Amino acid sequence: MKKKTKILVFSGITCFLLLLLSTWYAVVFNGSRLVAPMDFSSYTFQVQDLPMLFSLVLVCIYGAILLFTFIISAGRSRRKAEDTNTTRRLNPKLGLLGILGFLGFTGFWTHSVDGSVFPFVFFLFFGFFGFYYEGKMSGTFMDERFRENAARARLRASDITFRILFIALVILCQGKLLGNLEHAFIAGMIILSLALALRIFLSEYLLYRYDHDDLAEEE
Amino acid sequence: MAEFTCKLKQYRQIKGLTQEQLANQVGVRRETIMRLEKAQYNPSLKLAVDISRAVGVPIEEIFIFPE
Repeated sequence: MKKKTKILVFSGITCFLLLLLSTWYAVVFNGSRLVAPMDFSSYTFQVQDLPMLFSLVLVCIYGAILLFTFIISAGRSRRKAEDTNTTRRLNPKLGLLGILGFLGFTGFWTHSVDGSVFPFVFFLFFGFFGFYYEGKMSGTFMDERFRENAARARLRASDITFRILFIALVILCQGKLLGNLEHAFIAGMIILSLALALRIFLSEYLLYRYDHDDLAEEE
Repeated sequence: MAEFTCKLKQYRQIKGLTQEQLANQVGVRRETIMRLEKAQYNPSLKLAVDISRAVGVPIEEIFIFPE
């Protein structure tokens, strides 16, 4: 493992442990302040809140650094792919990140607790299963046939996604399925996230199929 | 895809080139040459010209499209 990756993993574990420790402190000694859902409009600072506030800020900073590192790394990888005319190097095991898509189900819990719906967007992570196929094709020389196949795969994936979205929206707009506008919007959000995840996955999967078997000949 | 006959394999073997060597010369993958020889891939004009120059045979003799 690279030194930089080791530092990132170590920092992540430290942040997580600090958050766990301060949560324990808040629950045991501070009446679960900043842990249990609370009304932040009437929030007043107390010294006992400091450990929880400190670890929350630390987690936010860590998240920002992680995001920044990811963006920089993705940009560098893309530039390298353009320079060498080969696909970016990726471990197929990264496809396991698709499991993060199950985080989308936490939306049902958060919606019942405080009405927030943004966790439904996590269904988008199902698209990361596509990393498996991208990883299998990493380091491939991008000649004209590969680029043609890539464009065809993207087009087909978008086509399927739009068809699903169209059918889902027609059903939802009937207003009879859920009988509740809020639930219909949530369903819309879930469908959109899943459809986009499908688009991300299908682009990679179809490219792999077009490149490796006779699917292209059948069309 | 347009139906055509490809005589690339024959001319490549006359020239004594392997698929890999030809692929490197014209800047594509070996798989692309393989598909071309099976007439399963319709190349761009640029690639067709490059292949024609690499094997030293006119395009119309390598890729034969029925009238």
